[in-house]
Formats: sequence, structure tokens, C-alpha cells
Amino acid sequence: MAGNKQWAAPLRNVVVLLLVWEVVGRLDLIADGALPGVSEILIGLWNDRSDYPLHVWETLKASGLGFVIGNLLGVVAGIFFVLIPVSLRVFRGLNIAIFALPPIAIAPILSLTLSGLTPRVVLAALGCYFVTMTATVIGLSQSDSRAADLIRVYGGSNWLIMRMVQFRSALPSILSGFRVAAPNAVLGAILAEFGGGGRWGLGAYLLGSLGRAEPERLWGIGVVATLIAGLAYGVFALMSHRFVGASRAVTMNMSVPEKAGDGSNRPLSSILAGAMAVLLPFLFWWAFIRLLDVPAMISKTPIGVVEYLFFSPAAQSAQERLIAALWETLPITGIGLLCGLSFAFLLAISSRLFPAFLRAFMPVALVTQTMPLVALTPLLVLLLGRGTSLTLWVTISVTFFPAFVILAQGISMVPRATRELAMAYGASAGQELRIITIPASMPYLFAATRLTVPRALLGVMIAEWLATGKGLGNLLNQSRGYMDYGMIWTVAALSVILAVVFYQLVVVVERRVLLRMGMSTAE
Amino acid sequence: MPSGGITFHGVCKTFSGRGKTIEALRDMSLSCPSGSFTAIIGPSGCGKSTAMRIALGLEDADKGAVLIEDREPQDATRAGLTGVAFQDAALLPWRSVRQNVEVPLEVLRKNIRDFAPDVQHLIELVGLKGYENALPGELSGGMRQRVAIARALVTRPRVLFMDEPFGALDQILRRQMNLELQRIWQESQATAFLVTHGIDEAVFLADRIAVMSANPGRLSVVIDVPFERPRKPELFSDPAFHALCDKVAEVLHGGQ
Repeated sequence: MAGNKQWAAPLRNVVVLLLVWEVVGRLDLIADGALPGVSEILIGLWNDRSDYPLHVWETLKASGLGFVIGNLLGVVAGIFFVLIPVSLRVFRGLNIAIFALPPIAIAPILSLTLSGLTPRVVLAALGCYFVTMTATVIGLSQSDSRAADLIRVYGGSNWLIMRMVQFRSALPSILSGFRVAAPNAVLGAILAEFGGGGRWGLGAYLLGSLGRAEPERLWGIGVVATLIAGLAYGVFALMSHRFVGASRAVTMNMSVPEKAGDGSNRPLSSILAGAMAVLLPFLFWWAFIRLLDVPAMISKTPIGVVEYLFFSPAAQSAQERLIAALWETLPITGIGLLCGLSFAFLLAISSRLFPAFLRAFMPVALVTQTMPLVALTPLLVLLLGRGTSLTLWVTISVTFFPAFVILAQGISMVPRATRELAMAYGASAGQELRIITIPASMPYLFAATRLTVPRALLGVMIAEWLATGKGLGNLLNQSRGYMDYGMIWTVAALSVILAVVFYQLVVVVERRVLLRMGMSTAE
Repeated sequence: MPSGGITFHGVCKTFSGRGKTIEALRDMSLSCPSGSFTAIIGPSGCGKSTAMRIALGLEDADKGAVLIEDREPQDATRAGLTGVAFQDAALLPWRSVRQNVEVPLEVLRKNIRDFAPDVQHLIELVGLKGYENALPGELSGGMRQRVAIARALVTRPRVLFMDEPFGALDQILRRQMNLELQRIWQESQATAFLVTHGIDEAVFLADRIAVMSANPGRLSVVIDVPFERPRKPELFSDPAFHALCDKVAEVLHGGQ
């Protein structure tokens, strides 16, 4: 019975939401019918039923293959990083670059240098790699240190500990990595379809339908993309849940965690690892081009980009266009990010005061996690037109939901006893917030910021590419049309570098603040 | 001179972290003859667990050395001479009782099938017959601890290390387990090294009690326990037993 009750409230909310949607849609209340009713979307899906199988199959193939490859790489890399801790520092730059790179920025590059299905698979795999790698590293390093000691006491090697203890106990974490990676894979495949100009795939379908005034079809494509990602999300959520039961330590591990012996106290090796971390992404870039053997006119090495931007005849004009685009993109990214995060923070904190609201809203927020965010942009175009407000709203919506989920889950982890202590002395709800909930949520606020910085940039660039015709996203799209390869590579490199720099800034501030507050960072 | 058992020769160990250095062990020398039962007792931070971790080869000593059956700790563990039971059962939650007992055999690359009767015998010895296929999550705290004891004995160790093996149990269960441990140890004839917080546990089980003190961690005195074996539960209420407990307590508090 308890299970029934648990499901009843969210189910009721979903039904109410769908009903309201249907009525509003049928009456064309929003932006002259930009929001069709649920039944209209379903009818649209039925009418287009002959189009979907090929598009879906194409996207499924690319994202599925990318999902497998990216996750495999993620798990193997995670195991490697845990077995050889110093490698994590050396690869840090590359890992962050992969995490932070806006997929849309490198989609044109991949389409230029690779052929067929490969660019889609690569972009899907890139979307999975970081999530799964992080989940693997966290899962492996959080395994029971006492069990590891036991193996070591009998002369077992690190590899044996990995095999007998760590890997099995990291399984739930790895599976939840797969869960989060699933929508990323679909997103990556669709974005590559945008840049690739192929005939089939949901991305191509979306791009082709964008110009026509058929809101039902755009919504239909969005729903299908979300369903694919949501299904994969659900399957791995279920598997992860199954495995947790048998892998949680039966008793609490009270022993102090060992400090990782990664040589961080030796200044020389520390500097060396840092330098490697910065150099490695460029080395990979260079090696990528060398190995592919693409004509030098199309593919630019790091040196090629510097040449183009500063020493070529077109340098002057390139710099001007780039600066104008940055001036357009950066402020709106910042504002959107700030708004999204503030909304999420305020809502998450106040949901502490109104738990019923949180219970109702959380499922909605979780559903948006499975939604590939490209599917969102065309819908917002329908609702908001193609102005700057569109870019802002896309950015807010891609940052708000993930930030809210992290914050709400983080806040719910504040130990009950801590809160009850304040209550026991008669603290008001406001006092409790000020003294306990807000300080306790700081690590999660930073974690949310770290996570959403790259998403904000991606959101802005997608909106610019698809709709507004301004800024970096547009410059990228235009350069594709003009076959201005130097600019394509420059924008791609610059947006990755920007995302990494922003990310790194947040990390530095986070460490400072949390150290002062005596807290550790949340993952 | 070869003597077997466990010998600590002037072992020193300092830890450094966050600008502070902690002297966990200063010049510890102790020898536990073959087949004896030694209990190590002391306040938190006196280095008793560190001493054990060094003897097990989990940490290296800064100075001095430990010999297990006249070998380096890591050689001894690799040769399967040592058995160990930690503060907490530390069972692998996804393995059954039998599979958990088999872990050391697997690590030492023994053929598990050859040891099947041994494993069964040990599981029965610790009173878990019928629970061979249960998962740790289905067992009580005392039962889990007994699995850990069986696991510690499965390699037929010459030296048995125990770090507060009953620390998480209540007083009643603890006494019961003490009795069982004495029986099992006598049967195994191994050299036993028990790290504990419990004075009565140490006095009941050990031939000798090494009392340690903190800041820096060091050995302050070794007290002999004269009671005959096998020791009966009645010993817990013997005045001589209490007198010895008081003596240990006195040294413990004086040592600070």
C-alpha cells in the first residue's frame, strides 16, 4: 500500500499537467498555437509515422554505438585513473575539456574531418565519457577501505583489490553514470546531425522541420527524442537500484580515508603534472589531425588556428567578427546562468519550507534531465520568437533544472539531527534556513555551478545557431556556409577554452570558499 | 636468533599531514613468543593499530623492523603465515558466508576446492552451520564477527592478528565471543596478537598485556597474566581477575 501512495501524488500531478496542457493547447492560448494540445501532438506523430522509423533508427544507431564506446572508454579510463592516481592529474585538462566542450561547437569539425556515421558516434561518445569516467572513479575510490586492507594483508595486488572489491562495489555508481550518459548520447548524435547535413536522423528531421509552421511535428520530434533518452535512463536507473542492495557495506566504515599518494606534496612533480594537464588537450588535437590525414586547408592544428587568427591576410576581419560574436554571446551566457542558478537556489531552499511542493515538482525536474536539450530549443522558438529573450530563456531552462536537481538532492542530505537540533531550541523556519540549510547547501551550489557553466554556453550557442542569428553559434553556422575553415576551428577552440576557463574559475572559487567553511566539495 | 612468533625491534612511525606531524609510535620493542597470546591495550591514538598495520605490512616503519616467524611482514603475509580480523567484520556484502571465508584462499591463489572441508569445519567451529549461503546483510553483528574469525583462520595461520574484533558488539555477546575465541585459538595453536580497548577482554584472553600510552605512542609496560587455561567464564567474577583488571587500569591512567 505504501508503494501505491508513493506513486499516487506524482501520477495525479502528471495527469493534471497533461489535462491543462491539452486545454491550453486546443484553445491556442499560447503564442497563436505554438503549444499544441497533447492529442494534437499525438495525431501529428501518427500522421508522420512513415517518416519516423528511418530517422529514429539513424539516431538510435549513432547514439547507441556512441553510448557503448563512450561508456567503455569511461569505465576503462576510470579504472586506470584509480590504479595510477597521478594519471588523473595529468589527464585533468583533457577530461575537463571533454566535459566542458559545447558539442555543437565541435560538430562541424567532426563533420569536416570524419565521414559517415562517425561524427555522430564520436559526439555521442564524448557526451558519455566524462559522466561515466567520473562515476567510475568516485565509485571505485569510495569502496570499503577495510575490505581492500583485507586483500592486501594476504599479499593481494592493487589489481586484485580492483577485481575482488572495488569494481563490484562501484557497480551501482557506474550504472548511474550510464543513466546520466544516456540523454547525453542522444543529444550528441542529434547535434552532430545538425552539423553534418545528412538526410536521416532526428536532428536532420528537426532541422528540416524548423522552417515550416508545424508546431505539432517539432513537438513530436521532441517527445520522441525524450522518450529514447528517457527509456535508456529508466533501464539503467532500475539496474542501478537493483545492485545497490547487495553492495552497500553492511556496517559503517569508521576508518579515516587515506590521503591519496599522488605525489601532490612534491612541488616538481606537481608542476609537471599541471603542465601536462594543460598541454595534453592540444596534443590530442594535434594528434587527431595528424592521424586522420585530412587536407591542411580543411583541418587546422593549434598552430594553424593561431596563424589564421593573427598572421593571415584575413586576420583583421576574423578578429573583428570574433570579438563582435563574443560580445554578443558572453553577456547573455552570464545573465542566463545567473538567473537559472538563482531560480534553482531559491526554489530548492524554499522547497525545504514547503516539502509538498518539492514532492510534486521533483518528478517534473527529473523528466527534464532526460530531455535532450536541442529538442527544447525549437519549441521555445515557437513560444518566444527569435529574439534575445529566446536565448535567455533557453539558457535559463538548460541550467535551471539540473541545478535544481543537484541542490534539492543536496539539501535533502542535510542530516535530520542537525535540523532537529535547531528546532529543539525553538528556531523559526527562517532561522533554520539561515543557520543550517543555506550554509549546508553551499557545496551543492558550487557543484551545480560547475555542472551548468558548460551547459549555459551550449544552450546559448544552440539558440544562436538555430534561431537568433547572432553571436558565436551563428558565426559557426555561417562559417560552415562560407567554408571558412579557419573560423570554424577558431570558434570551436575558443568555445572549448572559454568553457574550460569558466569551469576552472568556479573550481578555484569553490576550493577557497569551502576550505574557509571547512567543507569538502560535493561531486 | 630465530625465535618465531612476532618481534618488534625499535619500531618508529610518524605521520604528517596538514602541517602537523604525529608521532604514532616511538621506539616500540616487544616480542611475542610462538604460540603465546598477547593483548595490546591503550587509549585512542597510542599507536596500537599502527603497530598492527606495520606488522601486517600495510604500513612501513620509519625506523626499526618487525619480524613475523622470522620473516619480513610482507613475505610472511604472502606466504600465508598470517590471519587477520579487523575492528569490523569488513565482509564483502555481495558474497555469501562461505565465499567470504574463502577470500584469503583466493588471494593466495589456493585451490578452493581442496579447502572445502576446512572451510566447512571452520564455519561449524564458529557456530554458523546452516548459514553457509547467507549474505552478510542477513546476519546479526555477532554472526558477522564470527565469519570474520573463521576467515582469519582459514589459511591455518601461524600468527593471528585481531584489531578490536569485538569492538562493535555488546558486552554480553562480547563475553560469549571471548570464550569462543579462546577455544578456537587453543585449537589452532597460533601466536595471537589482539588489539583491544577492553581491559577485561585483555585480562581474560591474554598471556601478556602490553599497555601503551599516547603522545607519542609508545609501549609503557608489559603485564603477565598468570591464570591457567582453559579459562572458564567463572573467572570473570574472580577477585584475582578483578585485581589484575584494576592493575591494568591503574597503569593505563598513570601512563597518561
